Amino acid sequence: MRHIIVLAALLAASLQTSAGRMDTAPAQAHEPASKAAAAPALNPPLNPASAQLYFIWPYDGTVITGGKFWVRMGLRNMGIAPKGTAVPNTGHHHLLIDTELPSMTEPIPSDRNHLHFGAGETEARVELPPGTHTLQLLLGDMNHVPHKPPVLSKKITITVR
Amino acid sequence: MRTLFAAFALAALLAGTAGAAGATPAPANAYCYIGWPNDGQVLAAGKPFRVWFGLRHMGVAPKGVAFDNTGHHHLLIDTELPPAGQPIPSDRNHLHYGAGETETMIELAPGKHTLQLLMGDENHVPHVPPVASKKITIIVK
Repeated sequence: MRHIIVLAALLAASLQTSAGRMDTAPAQAHEPASKAAAAPALNPPLNPASAQLYFIWPYDGTVITGGKFWVRMGLRNMGIAPKGTAVPNTGHHHLLIDTELPSMTEPIPSDRNHLHFGAGETEARVELPPGTHTLQLLLGDMNHVPHKPPVLSKKITITVR
Repeated sequence: MRTLFAAFALAALLAGTAGAAGATPAPANAYCYIGWPNDGQVLAAGKPFRVWFGLRHMGVAPKGVAFDNTGHHHLLIDTELPPAGQPIPSDRNHLHYGAGETETMIELAPGKHTLQLLMGDENHVPHVPPVASKKITIIVK
């Protein structure tokens, strides 16, 4: 009787292990494989110290007619992770609209001037009234606090007509 | 004897859960695209180029992270979409971006190549339905 139970438990364990192995296999192969195909020097190791945060779109000085547009958020040498996710060398985007940089040691405020993208979004649909506006990106860690040193974009100015 | 059945039931349950873990639903309207290069783009040989991963109505999360409506990018080079329901292969034709990367630099041999993005869930399995970009063709010369 005991043997059978042990057998069943072993079966369960082995099923789990094999499933686990199947899941992690690509993960383990990931770094070397991508580098093998793309040559090691092409993509340096992810590191917040050398990260670059920037606007893919719009550009500094872009004139937008109508006021509705997609902001495409660009990040180099770092990855995106949703809020609350503890994975090294990641963060999530915050879009600062018509505002100065917030405190670099506290959670980024969440309001009309500080949009959070805690679900790991890399693009945002934004609507702004006619006029001149500033946009700046600031990466936040799992607790919405800027990294040390902070990972932020250049502040750009756009005009909505 | 009851314990025995319980043990077998548990084993079956665990096996079932492991199998079902692959089926992550895709968010409605999820749209994946290659922001750069463009379809038909001619690129200089011997020079790495950047590939921009575009994604709308969905978020990016590293591998192993369970978060609703997210996934991570895979770049398929010169290959068809892999089969549904199983982890995306990891080789020279299937590059994984499990650290949550949203762009990459690659270099390809001279000639015609196809590029396609495919999202994978926390276990590298495509969503249901798959969130894939249009397959583009680029020319390196």
